Amino acid sequence: MNKAKIEVRHLSKQFDGKSILNNVNLKVFPGESHIVVGLSGTGKSVLLKCILGLLQADSGEVLVDGEEWCCLSEREKLQRMRCIGVVFQGAALFDSLPVWENVAFVLRRQGMGEEEARLRSQDVLERVGLPDICDKMPGELSGGMSKRVGLARAICHRPKIILYDEPLSGLDPVMSDVITRLMRQLHEEMQVTSLTIAHNMKLVREFGDHVSMLYQGHIHLQTPVSELDSQHDPIFRQFIEGRADGPLNINQPQGI
Amino acid sequence: MMQWLESIGIRVEHICLQTGVYPMLLLQVIRRLYTPPWFFAHIISQCEKVGVQSLPVVLLTAIFTGMVLALQSWVGFHRFGAESMVATVVSLSMVRELGPVLVGLMVAGRVGASFAAELGTMRVSEQIDALWTLSTDPIRYLIIPRIIAATLMMPLLVILADAIGIFGGYLVSVLMLEQNSQVYIERATLFLKLQDLYSGLLKAVVFGGIIGLVSCAEGFYCKGGAQGVGQATTRAVVISAMSILISDYFLTIWIFQ
Repeated sequence: MNKAKIEVRHLSKQFDGKSILNNVNLKVFPGESHIVVGLSGTGKSVLLKCILGLLQADSGEVLVDGEEWCCLSEREKLQRMRCIGVVFQGAALFDSLPVWENVAFVLRRQGMGEEEARLRSQDVLERVGLPDICDKMPGELSGGMSKRVGLARAICHRPKIILYDEPLSGLDPVMSDVITRLMRQLHEEMQVTSLTIAHNMKLVREFGDHVSMLYQGHIHLQTPVSELDSQHDPIFRQFIEGRADGPLNINQPQGI
Repeated sequence: MMQWLESIGIRVEHICLQTGVYPMLLLQVIRRLYTPPWFFAHIISQCEKVGVQSLPVVLLTAIFTGMVLALQSWVGFHRFGAESMVATVVSLSMVRELGPVLVGLMVAGRVGASFAAELGTMRVSEQIDALWTLSTDPIRYLIIPRIIAATLMMPLLVILADAIGIFGGYLVSVLMLEQNSQVYIERATLFLKLQDLYSGLLKAVVFGGIIGLVSCAEGFYCKGGAQGVGQATTRAVVISAMSILISDYFLTIWIFQ
């Protein structure tokens, strides 16, 4: 079997004595689109931040391309970040820079000239369906446009891995479909490995190859998306069917 | 009793954690100062924000301070016929003390709040995390240019504030109190030593560093949403202002020795 592109081993993380991640194990193989689902507040974004080194895990290992990331110095981690693109939940565009400079941020940092970087960012923006917004400021964009600019920024430096943190949050169904199709298209064209944090089952079915469910701090279940409907685990079934009643431990108002 | 001790312990721990971020950030900044990249363009743009954009507020403060100082000291000196010493008091007070302290407080209010709010907003909207994922060290990109700009621009602002403050005193003394213009200029410079200027500029450098470090630390390590940014901004201004006044006393003692 192929070596995992991203591997998480026995990862644990606590906040103020409360365990958020408890012995999480996860493997994402090259070219795969892996989606981590789970209830809100189960630690999906914490897991992503631990993988990226934005949060220091209490214990456990994160391996990217077989290399242990926890042991790397900050400088080494920053160098290796070039193989990763990240799409943030709220797009996280830099307010003070126009769209094209946001998109070409890494290229400019790598010393690419202004003209060339601008052309490259224009190309990428066309690819995500936003051809004429190079000189706009992030504050002038709608939620869907910001998400697509965030996506353009994540792919502009041609990464090998793309991480998505709830890419469809706050979008209407039509825009969600546009972004999902775009993600699928880019995933196939660029032959990247994708790890997505989501709780949108439509996204899971249309974009995912494998899905893992994070529940009570650990990976409760992993399955290929093609076998999603044949899973009988009651917790998983309740989640994918989106029912309030069932074994999932959720805090719901009394009388509902 | 145990609960009381525990609550004290929690408060002490909180204060240590709160104040510990400043030396920790300073260490991280110093460690990075010797190796590239340095982001010169950012340093220049921050210098413009700290220096040029602060000029109106700083100069307005300085000229009125000089004018008030001239009026107040004239009242005192007039009682024993030493009105000609007004110029000396204005120039010495501005250069040694009021220039650096007032400019420090003004810059802490204007620039410190802006640093903390800007970085705090970037923190809560994940822009600082995004920088990291785009292979850019946020401390080099965001913090070092701001601290350098505040440290470099403060002495320049203080020089201008000193000059304008003394000029404010001149306006009041000559135009209002009908003192001789020549005498004012002569008395303003006669007792002023180069050491007075140096001590003011040294204070300005230290205050600039304090404003940059405190405000950047508050914004950079800000937690929570809009409320967190608001609290970080308030803390940045209050802690910077208090640190300026406290360090001013110790610097003055040190300079006197």
